[in-house]
Amino acid sequence: MFTTGPLGTLTQEASISTETTVSEVAVQLEGITKRFPGVVANRDISLTVQKGHIHAIVGENGAGKSTLMKILYGMQRPDEGEIRVNGSPVTFHTPGDAISAGIGMVHQHFMLADNLTVLENVILGSEPRKGGLALDFAAARKKIKEISDAYGLGVDPDVLVEDIGVGTRQRVEILKVLYRGARILILDEPTAVLVPHEVDELFENLHGLVREGITIIFISHHLDEVLKVADAITVIRRGTTVAEVDPASVTARQLAELMVGSELPSPETRESTVTDVVALQVTGLTIGAEGERRVLDDVTLTIHKGEVLGIAGVEGNGQAELVEAIMGIRPSAGTITLAGEEITTWTTLRRREAGIGYIPEDRHRHGLILEAPLWENRILGHMKEKVNVRGWWINRRGARADTQRIVEQYDVRTPGIDVLASALSGGNQQKLIVGREMSGEPKLLIAAHPTRGVDVGAQAAIWDHLRTARAAGLAVLLISADLDELIGLSDWLKVIHRGSLVAEFDPATVTPEQLGSAMTGAGEEA
Amino acid sequence: MSSTFTDRLLGRVRLSGWVSLAAPILAILFAGVVTSIVLALTGNPVLDTLTTMVDYGSQPRSLVLILNNATTYYLSALAVALGFRMNLFNIGVDGQYRLAALVAAAVGGAVTLPAPFHPILIILVAMLVGAAWAGIAGVLKATRGVSEVISTIMLNTIATGLGAYLLAQWAVPVAGSNNIGTPPIAASGQVPGLTLVPGSSLKVFGLIFLAVAVGIGFHVLLNTTRFGFDLRATGRSEAAAVASGVNVKRMVVYAMLISGGMAGLIGMPQLLGASYSYSLDFQPGLGFTGIAIALLGRNNPVGIAFGALLWAFLDVSANILGLHKISPEIVTIMQGVIVLSVVIAYELAHRYRSVAEQKRVSRELAGAASTPQKEGATA
Amino acid sequence: MLRNRFGKVVAGAAAGAMLLAAAACGGGDTTEGAPSAAPTDGASAPAASGVKVGLAYDIGGRGDQSFNDSAAAGLDKAVAELGVEINELEAGNGEAESAKEERLRLLASGGFNPVIAVGFAYSASVAKVAAEFPDTKFAIVDDEANKLPNVSNLVFAEEQGSFLVGAAAALKSTKGNVGFVGGVEVPLIKKFQAGFEAGAKAVKPDIKIQAKYLTQPPDFSGFGDPAKGKTAAEGMFDAGADVVYQAAGGSGAGVFEAAKAAGGMAIGVDSDQAKTADPTVADVIITSMLKKVDVAVFDFIKSYTTNSVVAGSKVYDLAAGGVDYSTTGGKVDDIKTQLDDYKAKISSGEITVPKE
Repeated sequence: MFTTGPLGTLTQEASISTETTVSEVAVQLEGITKRFPGVVANRDISLTVQKGHIHAIVGENGAGKSTLMKILYGMQRPDEGEIRVNGSPVTFHTPGDAISAGIGMVHQHFMLADNLTVLENVILGSEPRKGGLALDFAAARKKIKEISDAYGLGVDPDVLVEDIGVGTRQRVEILKVLYRGARILILDEPTAVLVPHEVDELFENLHGLVREGITIIFISHHLDEVLKVADAITVIRRGTTVAEVDPASVTARQLAELMVGSELPSPETRESTVTDVVALQVTGLTIGAEGERRVLDDVTLTIHKGEVLGIAGVEGNGQAELVEAIMGIRPSAGTITLAGEEITTWTTLRRREAGIGYIPEDRHRHGLILEAPLWENRILGHMKEKVNVRGWWINRRGARADTQRIVEQYDVRTPGIDVLASALSGGNQQKLIVGREMSGEPKLLIAAHPTRGVDVGAQAAIWDHLRTARAAGLAVLLISADLDELIGLSDWLKVIHRGSLVAEFDPATVTPEQLGSAMTGAGEEA
Repeated sequence: MSSTFTDRLLGRVRLSGWVSLAAPILAILFAGVVTSIVLALTGNPVLDTLTTMVDYGSQPRSLVLILNNATTYYLSALAVALGFRMNLFNIGVDGQYRLAALVAAAVGGAVTLPAPFHPILIILVAMLVGAAWAGIAGVLKATRGVSEVISTIMLNTIATGLGAYLLAQWAVPVAGSNNIGTPPIAASGQVPGLTLVPGSSLKVFGLIFLAVAVGIGFHVLLNTTRFGFDLRATGRSEAAAVASGVNVKRMVVYAMLISGGMAGLIGMPQLLGASYSYSLDFQPGLGFTGIAIALLGRNNPVGIAFGALLWAFLDVSANILGLHKISPEIVTIMQGVIVLSVVIAYELAHRYRSVAEQKRVSRELAGAASTPQKEGATA
Repeated sequence: MLRNRFGKVVAGAAAGAMLLAAAACGGGDTTEGAPSAAPTDGASAPAASGVKVGLAYDIGGRGDQSFNDSAAAGLDKAVAELGVEINELEAGNGEAESAKEERLRLLASGGFNPVIAVGFAYSASVAKVAAEFPDTKFAIVDDEANKLPNVSNLVFAEEQGSFLVGAAAALKSTKGNVGFVGGVEVPLIKKFQAGFEAGAKAVKPDIKIQAKYLTQPPDFSGFGDPAKGKTAAEGMFDAGADVVYQAAGGSGAGVFEAAKAAGGMAIGVDSDQAKTADPTVADVIITSMLKKVDVAVFDFIKSYTTNSVVAGSKVYDLAAGGVDYSTTGGKVDDIKTQLDDYKAKISSGEITVPKE
């Protein structure tokens, strides 16, 4: 019944916090496969969750955790495989089916109406009726109190949601799910929004819940937290379950290696083009007020001409904010200097004009206007480049000619420059963006996940372009979740975790263990 | 594929080729069917009614009225459309033009200038007042994040109150009339009408050329200038515009100012071409008609021109219905059905077209390169 | 001639659409040729007198239980007693000035003579169209700005009638507090208010008078929104009034409801509203200020049939019986002598009622 991974010598039931003596299976998934056009999100996943356990599912972003949970919660249907709840096979068409089977989900982002009370939020959608029409608030209040007391949630049903803190809101979400009769809870990244002491409170609550026989599926990529709270851990990598391990017999480092894969590519040996001319100097960059959890905390880094600085980190640890702060999209404290000139107070457009190219993480939202033709997309973000404009006027002919140049030079496969950007494949869209951002001879290129979601051919081409530009003296800030890419392209690596740069490595000598530990915040135990 | 329904509704998405023509024609046909059913249900002769409307609506006199109404509608719809193209819902065009017309009429009635300068001054005043009134909503949105829908609706109400107060201050009573209005604009400030339609003594508003010029200006501004590019980019994808360095807040203020300035023009053809004074019965509600026509014309200056003419034709031909004991409200039903069915037709046409375009691109690429494209992981 | 063709293209496209639609739905009854669009189609069987009267209503038209209905009553009387043919057209809400002109033009060119325009909003249109049709007699109610040889101006001394009901209100009020609800704050309605206040103060100089207008122009909804009228009147009764006079057209129904609920009294306007209002509230209406538009309309048509139309202003005041107060229900019988005394003084010119 249990799969064992490379490290997985699965021991007897560890009795950390559970009284379950007879092992009962709450949820069992077998051979789950889910394909999306062009990609397999889940492949032959098997998972067994014991009743009354906190079962953690860990994996990098994009590993397939979200898809798996959507399948379990009835938001998507698997192409193959079987789901069994409490031993009997089930088929979910909607989340409603999952709820009736006793499965509830607490989303990472709360779904509460601020201007309603806790009570109203909890009963919203499943209001108790009295005599047909009237709402039976008294009965609801009684039931909420009972649940709150039974599981030690300490929730007052009559306060407004806008008046309560993040931790309490999360407990309200949990209560909402319990109120609907859930006995199996899925928590999606529950600690992402919490400060440390709230995390501890949450874990106490979770222990309280399992004592009462509730089963919890806990999704996270913070390994220290997972090791602290979970009774069992399943690791997912590249869409499939690679190991099922016992938290008592595994270290954070081992877990990290399981998550990122043990076979990291050997760095490409090549000549260094790094000069000693500073292209970008970022000092003390901070986002987030005093007392709050900072999304970016005192980040200082330097990139020289001809250098590629790679930022490694599990997604959601401040990479996106770092990029937006350097681009001037998001306000921040600290100073930013580009080629010796301080640009801290400059607008985004002025920064771009001064020579920052930007390949955004989400090309559909930030990089392109999908419903505009390619040549108009060529102008986007380069509204002051000579080839695109003449004073106040759009230089239609110039922009079209230059778009044609990019299409040819960067091998953008398109029937013409008048087709809408939405008609191109992801790889070709990205090549167009790369071509656009490389034009106008930038001093610095910020490349966020430049090859995510593109085909293999486009990936190689984009890497080549980056290497060529680096050789020509371009400074590159590379952010990627793809370790191949990071190690293969970067001259130097820094690791970001919870908004801070926590470690740095030479890509030529770094070991996957070191990288994995640093990325998941398990570094201190190493 | 990823444009929202609102994008398509507001014409921020390109729709070209025969579908952009077929869609509205089918919609008008459909509206005709619905109207016929309503007529038949209410016991009116269907064919007679429709032929009567068309016969009357195509008489020279009616054509003049249609052109005059359409001039006003066109300006109104353009003012609305400019906001729509940037995803700004300027519901306050109505208040903006009423206030602008009132102040402009008062200024025009108070001064006398040589002929070319007098109407130009009046028009400039109207644009400034319209822009200032709309600018309030723009500044509120840019600095405080107030939804322009809410603020412009409120400003409409305030404009009504303020207008009533100002009119009472500035109005001169006309002997024996229960109406009050601003002092009439002297002949030097009036814009003479044009005899464009043979067979009718009625004159077409001289400012019809202003409307045409504004339409051309709208097209030039949006499609050939950097400002227009930024505006359209913001409307199509605010996130992409921000990432590209467009100062969206400043664009909001500018767009509202321009939209308001255009709104200020709405009252001008009537004021300078026919009534010469702003009085109690100055036509209200044109700003709302403009919203419907902007949707009808997909916020495109040429489309709006057709929309305005169609709307004006229906309005004018409604005049005859009363004589035949048919409720003129049948035209209101028809206008409503046309807007609804045009919106639906555009949506269907868009879906058809985006599927067709994607097929076309992959077909043409398959011919060029035989290497199969494979997508990587996107999750 | 580009513009011209433009219009024809659109008209043609629309026509095609409608014809197709009509063919699809019309079925078998569409075999005869398209009839002519001549406006004369609308007229019914020829009447004995051969006089065809065209009448253009203000917004609300026939059935507004107020001003327009009063004109309609005069028209109906003319049909019954003089045997004239009629056609009525109605103004649309928020229509263009040109639509008003076109309405009058359609009537005049359709052979209707005389043509009557109800409401001051037609002032400019009548001036323009009357000049285009010098052989047609026009009348306009509530406006005397135009002085054309073929236009008769039918105007009323609303302030005089309002004075009488103002006096009635003051005499009937036990709390010394009365109210006035105006539909839209326009000069015409201000005349009602001025007369009402003068009348009330003539009886009781220290009387408290509350006044409120429901909307400001160009928002004319205050003439047709009973809910607004009700809210305004409720506020006045709450603030101590016991008699409220409404000059708010269709909104007046709300004033009566409020009076009924508050146990107060109300005064109607234009027609004898104790007869025309909803029977459930009619008992709160102690009197109404009668503005006899029906009389004016009938008189005008009659003068046309006898070839004695007089151009220029005809003022319907107290002396001429054009305005008055009503006694239906007998609620003002006890103060009738006082009211008739004021009436005599106004008619004789001893009292001059202010117009604003």
